[in-house]
Amino acid sequence: MEKGKVVVEKVGPSDTDAAWIYSLTYGGGIVSGDSISVEFTVGDGCTAVLTTQASTKVYKSMGSNCSEQVLEARIGSGSLFALIPDPVTCFSTARYSQKQVFRVVSDSSLVIVDWFTSGRHESGEKWDFEHYRSTNHIFSEGDQPVFLDTVLLEQGGATRIAERMHDYQVIAMVIIYGPKLKHVQDQVQENVKKMMSQQLYVPSTRLGRHGKTNSDHCLTRPAFIASCSVFGPKVLTYDLSATMLLLEIV
Amino acid sequence: MDDSLEAEGLSPMEEDLVETDRKRKRNASIDSTLQWSQWQLLDSILPTGGFAHSFGLEAAIQARLVSGPDDLKSYIIDLLDNTGSLLLPFVHSSTMNPTLENWQKLDRILDATLTNEVGRKASISQGSSLMRVAAAVFTEIPSLKSMRDVCLGSGSRSGVVCFHHAPVFGLTCGLVGIDSRSSQRGFMFVTMRDVISAATRLNIVGPMGAAILQHQMAPVAEALSQKWMDRPLEDASQTAPLLDTIQGSHAYLFSRLFCS
Repeated sequence: MEKGKVVVEKVGPSDTDAAWIYSLTYGGGIVSGDSISVEFTVGDGCTAVLTTQASTKVYKSMGSNCSEQVLEARIGSGSLFALIPDPVTCFSTARYSQKQVFRVVSDSSLVIVDWFTSGRHESGEKWDFEHYRSTNHIFSEGDQPVFLDTVLLEQGGATRIAERMHDYQVIAMVIIYGPKLKHVQDQVQENVKKMMSQQLYVPSTRLGRHGKTNSDHCLTRPAFIASCSVFGPKVLTYDLSATMLLLEIV
Repeated sequence: MDDSLEAEGLSPMEEDLVETDRKRKRNASIDSTLQWSQWQLLDSILPTGGFAHSFGLEAAIQARLVSGPDDLKSYIIDLLDNTGSLLLPFVHSSTMNPTLENWQKLDRILDATLTNEVGRKASISQGSSLMRVAAAVFTEIPSLKSMRDVCLGSGSRSGVVCFHHAPVFGLTCGLVGIDSRSSQRGFMFVTMRDVISAATRLNIVGPMGAAILQHQMAPVAEALSQKWMDRPLEDASQTAPLLDTIQGSHAYLFSRLFCS
């Protein structure tokens, strides 16, 4: 097995506002059995962005090999770390697992986007992968768990993945955390509330005492569904709590 | 059942058989008492407020993902699968180790795991009610009340315990003497019971149809219980992200019957 290591210590002069880092894989994809591990430290008062050049393609699995990516990030005081990659696309029969662990202090800020598509749907592959697992953990000082989330999708379960997804093709989770992003949190919460209030209504076939009418009462599903939640500890002066969205888009 | 023998002049082997028989009767008597407690814990008449929650079903109807009994069946399967994968590890751990320390640890971890605010609040609401009821009902288990009092009295938002449902359910079962497999199965049962009840009130299915559906779904529910039971906490994961999103959007419903 090939093993490589790259250490990047200095990415720019000390008066840089934010460092943008693009992570690239050879060939732009992950093949069966690949294992990629990244460690990140964002120093006090710094801003860093980690993103990709294109969507991460996970190729079919050979045997029962699983490909994996692991990211461990430490974010310092007064810092902002934004993890905003392109989505992961698992090809038919792919097996993929990723784990992202973020260690923050009381005034760190984080933006995490974790999203994945149904596959190469132009080729007719919709939710055709074997196994997808994504873990995102946020720990504060003293290893206190703030956010623990794992999504697991496996074929051969009670329902086919495609059926469970009800024609939606993308799932995204966005975490917006920390004091620097309070205004963004508020805006996002308001926007999601506004968008979703229009999408949800008592269907006309069961309009009883609810008189809310819509010009198209049809039973078509919303093109996307989103929800926004607050989580995390609340501290005296400002809200450390953050918001999270889950979107599914047709 | 055989009449018990006078233990006079018996050979060692016969004495063993008598003792085994006595033990079996004693255990059967304990088991019977346990059954009454178990039935009470799973009975919908226990005032734990489960009926205020639709487990995302009301939002799913308003998003047109569920419109009839067939959709309902799929919805329940997805819900049970997710309940198994996400919550059974917590029920298992608290049943096997029903101590204050373990309960506090599980509650803290679950609070960070239930990232969906609607689901999190529903869990806290049901767990608090269950703890209050269990402490009052099972007076022969004073630690239920004392653990509850410790956690209530620990001050406002130092956040020692939120009273999440799954750990409280497991803790109660464990202290009452119910084994872990039954406890986990019981948790799946009450989830199915409550979502089907919600479905009748949302007019997806009538009361008779609901009863028929519940029995039809028992094999699936059992299979899912078997699949997800006895797993470690690190394995807790959600397997129905769409359902999670839909449940989270309950707060945006203009008109609603349920809290969640």
